Amino acid sequence: MSRQISRRDFLKVTSAGLALAGLTGCGPLSRYVTREPYTQMPEYTYNGLSTYYATACRECPAGCGTVVRTMQGRALKIEGNPNHPVSLGKTCARGQIALEGLYNPDRYQYPARRPQRGSEALSPITWDEAVSLLSNALTSNQPSEIAFLFGLTSDHLVDLVTEITTALNAPTPLRYNAFETVEARATLADVANRIFGISAIPFFDLANADVTFSFGANFLETYLSPVAYARGFAAMRQGHIGKRGYLVQFEPRMSQTAVVADEWFPVTPGTEGLVALAIGRLIAEGGGSSIPAAYQDVDVPGIINASGINESDLRRLTKIFSDAGHALAIPGSSALASSNGLEAGESILTLNALVNNLGQAGGVFLTPDLPVHADNPKIPNKMGELNDLIQRMNSGAVKVLFIHGVNPVYELPPSLGFTQALNQVPLVISFASFPDETSLQADTILPDHTALESWGYQKILTGADRPVISGLQPVVAPFYDTQATADVLLGAVQAIGGNLATAVPYTDEVDFLQQSLQGLITTRGFFNTTDILSFWQLWVKNGGWWNESAGLASPAAQAALTSSLAKSLPEFDGEGEFYLMPYFSTLLSDGSGANKPWLQETPDPTTTVVWNSWVEINPTTADRLGLVDDDVVKVSSPYGELEAAVYRYPAIRPDTIGIAFGQGHTAYGRYAQNRGANLTTLIGTRLNASGDLALCTVKVKIEKTGKVQKLARFEGQPGKYGIP
Amino acid sequence: MENHSGSTKQENRGNGFISKQLHNPIVQIGLGILLLIILGGAGYGLYLTQLSPPQPIQFPHVKHVSMGVQCLYCHPGALRGISPGLPTVTKCFGCHQQVAKTSPELDKLVAYVKENKAISWVPVFILPDFVYYSHRPHIAAGLNCENCHGEIGQETIVRLQNMNMGWCLNCHRTRFKDNPVMLTKLTDCVTCHK
Repeated sequence: MSRQISRRDFLKVTSAGLALAGLTGCGPLSRYVTREPYTQMPEYTYNGLSTYYATACRECPAGCGTVVRTMQGRALKIEGNPNHPVSLGKTCARGQIALEGLYNPDRYQYPARRPQRGSEALSPITWDEAVSLLSNALTSNQPSEIAFLFGLTSDHLVDLVTEITTALNAPTPLRYNAFETVEARATLADVANRIFGISAIPFFDLANADVTFSFGANFLETYLSPVAYARGFAAMRQGHIGKRGYLVQFEPRMSQTAVVADEWFPVTPGTEGLVALAIGRLIAEGGGSSIPAAYQDVDVPGIINASGINESDLRRLTKIFSDAGHALAIPGSSALASSNGLEAGESILTLNALVNNLGQAGGVFLTPDLPVHADNPKIPNKMGELNDLIQRMNSGAVKVLFIHGVNPVYELPPSLGFTQALNQVPLVISFASFPDETSLQADTILPDHTALESWGYQKILTGADRPVISGLQPVVAPFYDTQATADVLLGAVQAIGGNLATAVPYTDEVDFLQQSLQGLITTRGFFNTTDILSFWQLWVKNGGWWNESAGLASPAAQAALTSSLAKSLPEFDGEGEFYLMPYFSTLLSDGSGANKPWLQETPDPTTTVVWNSWVEINPTTADRLGLVDDDVVKVSSPYGELEAAVYRYPAIRPDTIGIAFGQGHTAYGRYAQNRGANLTTLIGTRLNASGDLALCTVKVKIEKTGKVQKLARFEGQPGKYGIP
Repeated sequence: MENHSGSTKQENRGNGFISKQLHNPIVQIGLGILLLIILGGAGYGLYLTQLSPPQPIQFPHVKHVSMGVQCLYCHPGALRGISPGLPTVTKCFGCHQQVAKTSPELDKLVAYVKENKAISWVPVFILPDFVYYSHRPHIAAGLNCENCHGEIGQETIVRLQNMNMGWCLNCHRTRFKDNPVMLTKLTDCVTCHK
């Protein structure tokens, strides 16, 4: 007995000793932190107090105004700008997490040449060498052999390069990114052009609508301007118009927007537009007067059959829509990115004309242009135009390609052959901030500042109740040896001199911005000045310029109801059993969020999966195929295949599977690469009538692989922690 | 049966072996030495955590304070905000280009000024992220810096002070023991953990 006690005591003393040793390890941890004060403090900052800068978010094309809190030269927190008409003090998760772009450890930190494409090795160059390389590239090639490819690039850079290419007589820069093309924004602009005669992205006044029918528009997560629409949705639900608004969502897979909708109808993929057509026809029938030409020959029973919606629901919905004081129909990505996307968009927008809500509260509006390079195209380019570029690259007609703000090697379906076409271009110059897949194939990397270190402006195409232009300013001094792309290009222009320098006469980026904004001085805004320097002060202070009072243009649509609407059924590629429903993750979006660990570890709003890809399959289908959660399946389409773990998702049609964009990077830094699967491998090259990529037109096969990959999920899982 | 008894025997033998060895004086001395080494190491580790961390410049607070420089001259943020802030190199050199130009430590300062480089100070007091602490109300309540930071005016680098929750609460309770309203406010969880 006494022996045992002594042993216990021995163990006690030992463990106490170990605990002490452990404790000592905790203490000095803090010593690894250092604090670096300014060497010279700017006079407008005060030691120990935060300084706030108004700027704008560049994580998606919405262009929300933000305010960034900084302390001693470090950006600490991003919030919405309370005065900015798009964000009104709010941000989304991506906006908040934009900080991790600034502090990302994998950033390109200096200009460099890549000795061998595809290899990570870089040999640094100086910025002077970079400028002479650029001026060489611009002069030693024919103007037609120069191509610029832009993506989520600040509008000022696109405007500047458009001036340069015009002066050089080179092709205008192409603007593409998955955000704009996956959501088929160019198709939406085409629809507006057909119905209203103006090529623009309409603004849907959700806040004042009492009944909203959303045809695949996932406006709470990514669609057009999610912060503005989330706020509009909140206002609608809180009954700002005197009663609680009613939301009905038509889409094959339940998105976050459908989750909060009053009713969700999982219609057959690609039939969203047809359902809108049937609703229009039934409204017209009930109207008493003659049926407009648009709805003359609509086959309602045929549509009921094709879409899978039942007749009593359709009639009930029709009544809800026609009885509403302010009814609104929004065309969304799953409708527009179908093979019949252009027609679907027309049917849905025409529904607004039918209930006469154009330019009315709770209806459809158009945002007027502001006098800042208003002639430049503002709608993103279509996939068709990108195809032309790829063909020119393939035929050797492009000798130098400049890429900024876009990652086409990752974002474009491999079946388009962009990567192969890139090999035919002798000189590829990338302005990327991060080592993404495309910059890995570039010969020269001239890293731009990240958004929080940059100047710029962003024209708001839609999302505000008035015309707005957001202003960007650096909130911190650049961390690394990066240079603003606008400055580098202007440096090259000055080095070339001659006619080009006369046509593009700006000394630097800020000079270009100030001259571009001249037109706003004489336009009535919420601040008014007489000269550019006073204007600039207020512009920088407020984070942009906008109209004093709310007001947008009313679209005119006399022609909308008088011509017949097309009613083609959707077409699909592939012999597979399942419709593929590709969608944007609200967190990783076009994949550019994948290198931000905060976004990776934020649970997906519907499935709560983190750090990975998954395939959403209806449990009835999964049971039939013998699939349980975490089983890895091979999904194959005519264009490619991928492997990912199954997530049994009850809120998706049994004949449809859903996969989110964003994972499956082969490069793009330590947090992004070798994680999950890239959805674009499954996507084809089919275009809709507008020339945009018809994303939702693939049918896929599923095969069980026998492998299991445990998905990290936030939600409880059956069989764990007492959950039955 | 045989197997069973065999295994029992083995267990007995095992127990006997350890206890026998524990009675061996050499093993006992060895274990004692090992224990002393562990305890000594732990003690030394603890001692290390109580030392002020090495700094890029051994900044003599004592000299500055004894010459009448106010704390708030270099750390004015304490008066108005959460963080007192650290002086810029420009501020240091504002005085030092006039006074006390030579010492090995000052040469380091000159080097920083010449390179326009920030000095990477190592913080002595770090509160965890889940604690909200602002200097302003404490200065406004009439506390001196020394109340929390110790006798800075007599040291080179500040000596470490154990700033745990009990230490904070102890002061809040003592100062406001006759003021129930303030006492409630200043002992409420969310006052500091918000």
